Amino acid sequence: METGDPVVRLEEDPYEKEVRAIFHDTLGLIHIALVTHYGLEEGEAMELEKDLYLWFLRFCMRPGNSSPRESRPFLLVACCQFAREYQKYVIGAGVRRSNDRLKKLLDREPADVARDFSRSLDLLDFRNHDA
Amino acid sequence: MPETARVLQFPARQTSTAVSPAEALEMAREYLSTAEEDRSENVKEKNLSNCDVLLAICKVLRDGMESSPAVTVTEASFLYRWAANPESAVGVFDEREYVLGEAALIAAKGSRLLGKLGDAERWLDRSDAAFRHIVNPAPSLAGIAFERLALRFAAGRYEETLELLPSLKSSFKKLGMGIENAKAQFLEAIALRFVGREEEHFTLLRDLEQASEVRACPSLHGQVLVHIGHHEAASGDFETAARTYEKALPIVMRGNRPVALCELKWAIGDAYRSQGSPRRALESYRAAKSDYQQLGFRAFVTQMSLLIAETLLALGRDREAEWEILSALPAIEEEKMVPEGFAAVALLRESVRRRKTDPNALRELREHLQAKS
Repeated sequence: METGDPVVRLEEDPYEKEVRAIFHDTLGLIHIALVTHYGLEEGEAMELEKDLYLWFLRFCMRPGNSSPRESRPFLLVACCQFAREYQKYVIGAGVRRSNDRLKKLLDREPADVARDFSRSLDLLDFRNHDA
Repeated sequence: MPETARVLQFPARQTSTAVSPAEALEMAREYLSTAEEDRSENVKEKNLSNCDVLLAICKVLRDGMESSPAVTVTEASFLYRWAANPESAVGVFDEREYVLGEAALIAAKGSRLLGKLGDAERWLDRSDAAFRHIVNPAPSLAGIAFERLALRFAAGRYEETLELLPSLKSSFKKLGMGIENAKAQFLEAIALRFVGREEEHFTLLRDLEQASEVRACPSLHGQVLVHIGHHEAASGDFETAARTYEKALPIVMRGNRPVALCELKWAIGDAYRSQGSPRRALESYRAAKSDYQQLGFRAFVTQMSLLIAETLLALGRDREAEWEILSALPAIEEEKMVPEGFAAVALLRESVRRRKTDPNALRELREHLQAKS
C-alpha cells in the first residue's frame, strides 16, 4: 500500500494481513492500469487504490469467494470498471479531454481489459515463484 | 480526492471509519439488539453507512435466521429498502448491488422458513436481479439456485428438486463451495426419502456423515445424524437409533441451530412411539412443540399438536386430544395449510364437535401437513 494509507489498523487479523499482502503484490499492476492505460492522474489513482483495497478486503470475505490470491483477477476487473466509469464521468462533464487511444479503451468492456492484465498476474506469479 | 472529483462528487468516497471485522460484528449485534422502532435516524445512519457494519449485520441475520425468522425477514426487508434508496451511501463499486442481493436472499430464506413461499420467491427474484450486477456473481447466483430448489422441495415438488440438483452440485464443486455442495446433497437425501427411494436416501446420509466438510459444520452434521437416526428407528432398529440420537445431541447443541434441536426431539418422540412407549413419545413431542412455539414456526406447532393428539388418543386421553386438535384448527385455516375442501379437516372438526374424534381423519390431516413441510 502507498504511504498515507488510512485503513491500516494496529491490530490486524491474519486474514486481513493475507489480503493486504496480495493487494500489495498486485498494486504495481493496478497503478499501471489506472495511470498508464486509463489516464488517471497520480493523485486520483492513489485515492482510488485506497477504495479498491477496502473493497477487495470485503470482497474476499463474501460467502463462496475463493482465496485472496485466486480473487486477484476480480480485483483487476473492479479496478478497470471503476477507472472506466470515473474517466467517462470526468470526460462527460467536460473536465478532461479524451483522445483516440483513451476512447478506444473506454469502449472496451472492463472485464476484457482486466483479462489482458490478468496475463501479467501469471507473469508476476512466475517471477515470485522463480525468486 | 482531487478537487475536480470532489466538485463532481464522483466517485463516492467511503467517509466512515474502517473498523475491524470483530468491531463490526459487535456494532452489528448492538444495532440489531435495539428494536427497529427505537432506532434513531442517527443510529441507522451511523451503522448502515459503514459498509463493514452493514455486511456484519447481514452475517448476524444469516447466522441467526433460524432462531427468529420473522425478525430476520423484517430486518432484511428494511436493509433492502435502505440500500435501494439512491440517497443511501452503500460502500463502493458493486457493494450496493451486493447488499441488495444479500438482504433479499436472507429475506427469501426467512420467508421460506415461515412457510410464506410466494414471498420467498419474490425475494429471490430481487436477489437475482441485484447479484447479476456484482463482480464474480457465480457463487451468489449458485446460492440463489439452491434456495430455489429448497422452495420447490418445500412446495412438495420432490421429483423436480431431484432432477435439478446434479447441475447445482456441479456448480458448487466447480466453485470450490464444499459446504454448500454438502447442503445440496443433504437436500437430495431428504428428497429421495420423499419419493420412496429409502436405500439411496440412507446411503447418501451415511456418506455425508463421513464427509470432512459436514463434520466441520455442527449444524449440518447434527441434522444428518438426526435423519440417520430417523431411518434406523423407522426400520425398527431402535437400539442403533438411540445411539445415533445420543451422538447427535451434543453436535446439534454445538451447532446453535434450534430447528435441528426441535427435529431431534421430534425424531426421539417418533422412535418412542414406534417402540410402543407413547408416554415418553408424548414428552418428546411436547418439548418439540414448545421449542417450535418459541421460534414462531406455526406450521410445525400445528403438526406437533396433531401428533400429540394422535398419541393422546392412543393413551385413551380423548378430552386432551380434542383440546390439541382445537388449538391446531384455526392455524390450519388461517395459513391455508390444506387445499380448499380438504375432507379430513371437515371430518375431524365434526368428530371433535361430537366428542368422538375420528383417528383416520386426524392421521390423514397430519400426514398431509407433514408431507408438505
